[in-house]
Amino acid sequence: MKQNPILALHPLTKFYLAVFITVSVIIVPSYLFAYAWFPILIIIAAIAGVAKSFISFISKTLLILLAIVFLMQLFFYPGDSVIGTWWIFEMSSEGLQYGLKLTSRILAIGAAFILFFRIVDVKDFVKALEDIGLPPTGAYIVLSTLQIIPEMRRQSNTIMEAQKTRGVETEGSLKVRAKAFFPTLTPLILSSIASTEERAITLESRAFSAPGPKTSLHQLTKRPIDRILNWTYLILSIGLLVWRFFL
Amino acid sequence: MTAIIQLENVSYRYPIGEEWVLKDVSLEIKKGSFVSIVGNNGSGKTTLCNILRGFIPHFHKGELEGAITLEGQDLSGFQLGQLGEKVGFVFQNPFIQISGVKDNVFGEIAYGLENLGVPVEEIYERVEEVLTLVNIQHLRDKNPFELSGGQRQRVALASIIVMEPDILVIDEPSSQLDPIGTEQVFEIIRLMKEKGKTIILVEHKMDLVAEYSDELIVLDQGKVLMQGPTRDVLADPLFRKANIQYPHVTEIALELQEMGVDLNFVPIRDSEITTCFKHNRGDV
Ligand SMILES: Nc1ncnc2c1ncn2[C@@H]1O[C@H](COP(=O)(O)OP(=O)(O)O)[C@@H](O)[C@H]1O
Ligand SMILES: [Mg+2]
Repeated sequence: MKQNPILALHPLTKFYLAVFITVSVIIVPSYLFAYAWFPILIIIAAIAGVAKSFISFISKTLLILLAIVFLMQLFFYPGDSVIGTWWIFEMSSEGLQYGLKLTSRILAIGAAFILFFRIVDVKDFVKALEDIGLPPTGAYIVLSTLQIIPEMRRQSNTIMEAQKTRGVETEGSLKVRAKAFFPTLTPLILSSIASTEERAITLESRAFSAPGPKTSLHQLTKRPIDRILNWTYLILSIGLLVWRFFL
Repeated sequence: MTAIIQLENVSYRYPIGEEWVLKDVSLEIKKGSFVSIVGNNGSGKTTLCNILRGFIPHFHKGELEGAITLEGQDLSGFQLGQLGEKVGFVFQNPFIQISGVKDNVFGEIAYGLENLGVPVEEIYERVEEVLTLVNIQHLRDKNPFELSGGQRQRVALASIIVMEPDILVIDEPSSQLDPIGTEQVFEIIRLMKEKGKTIILVEHKMDLVAEYSDELIVLDQGKVLMQGPTRDVLADPLFRKANIQYPHVTEIALELQEMGVDLNFVPIRDSEITTCFKHNRGDV
C-alpha cells in the first residue's frame, strides 16, 4: 500500500478537492482568497512529494499564460481611473483589479487540476469513475490511449529512424523538424487507423461485450478519511454560498 | 461423438473482394476432437476461423451463405459476447492481440476473466495456473508492449485458454516460435484436448499436425478438398494434389513405396517408422 497520506487518498477525494477549489474561488470574489490557494497547493504537493515537478510544470506553462492575461487586462480592460501609462497604452485601476481577479482564479483552478494529475494515478481515477458508472467503453478509451501513447512514441521513433536512413533530416532547427514531422505522421496515423478494427476484434476475443457485470483485479478502497474530506468539501461549499448570498 | 460445429454449404465473400473466399464449404467437427486445418496461403483458413468465432459476419460484413450451427443451434442466434465464452480464438498475428489497457502480463491475461465477471480470488488462481502451464511465469510483470513476437504469442494463447472456452480456435500459433517453443505449444494444446476441449488448429508444420491431430481438413482455394481422420487423409493420393508438405516420415515412406518397397501402412509419425515395413529385418 502507498504510505503517503496524500497519495493514499481515494482518487475521487483528490478530484473533489480540485472541484472544491474551483467552486470556492468562483463564490468568493476576493483575489487574495484565490491566490491563497496556491501556497496551500504547494504544501499539499510537498507532502505528496511532488512539489518540485509541480512547481516546475506550473512555471513552464501556467505562468506565461497568467502574465499574458494579466497584461491584457491591465492595458485593455475598459476603465477610467488611470494609474499609469506605458508607451501609448494606459493602465486603469479597474484593469488592475480585474487582472488580479482573473489571474488569481486561473492560477487556483489551473494549479488545483495540475496538482490533481500529479497525485493521482490515471488508472485509479478511471477505475473510480467506472465504479460510479462510467461505461466500460469510456474507460477503455482513456486507458488504451494512455497505454498507446508511449507505444506510438516508440513507433514514431522507429519511423523517424527509417526516414533518416532515407535522407530525411529529422534533427536541427524547428523548421527542419517540422518538415520531418509530416512524413512521420502519415504512416503513424495510417497504422493507427488500420489497427482500430483489429483492436476491436482483439477486445472481443477477450469477451469485452460479454453479458453480465465485470469484475476487476484493481480495487480501490474508500477509507473514513475520504468520507470525512468529501463531506468537509461539501459543507464548506454550502457554507461559502450561504455566507456570500445570505449574510 | 456428436458434432459441436457444423457447416453446410458455406460460402463467403469479403465486402471489398470480388471472389468468393470460401466456396460451398461443408464440414463437421466432433466434440472433444483435435482438428487441424491445413492449406496453402490464401486458401481461406483464417477466414474460416473468423466464421467459427463469429467475427464474420459481426465485424467483417460481406456476403455469407449457408448454415453454421454450434451445438445444434444456428450460429447467427448467438450474440458476439456469448460466443466469447464458448469459442476462444488465438489469432495468427501476435502483435495485435494485446488489449492495450494493461501494463503487465498478469493483468493482460486476467483481462478476459474480468470481462466475464469471474470472482477476483478465482482470477488470481486461474492466471497463476495458466502462467505456469504456458511457461511464462518470468514474464508476469513485463509490459505486454515490450514483448517479442514469440513471447506475445504465448501471452495471447494464455489469455485465451485462461477463459476456458469449450472450443479453441488457434491460427498458426507457431509462426513466431522456435522449434522448442512450437513443441511446447503443441503440448499445451494437447493438455487442453485432454481437458475435453475441442481444438481447431491451423498449422503448417505437418510433422506436428500428424503427431497431434485426430482429424484433418484440407482447404484448397476456398474449397474443402478433403476431410477425415489424419491418417486416412494423408494416405489418400488426393492429398498430393493440394501441394501441401507431407510429414517427413510419410514423404520418405511414400517415396520408398513408389520404388517398390512394401509397406504395412503409411506412417505419419516418427515413432511408426519401425513398424511400417512388411519384412521387418530387425526380427531375423
Ligand atoms: N479482410 C479481408 N478483406 C478482403 N479480402 C481478404 C481479407 N482477409 C483475407 N482476404 C482474402 O481472402 C483469401 C483467404 O485469406 P485467408 O483466409 O487469410 O487465407 P489463409 O489464412 O489460408 O492464408 C485471400 O485471398 C485473401 O486475400
Ligand atoms: Mg491465415
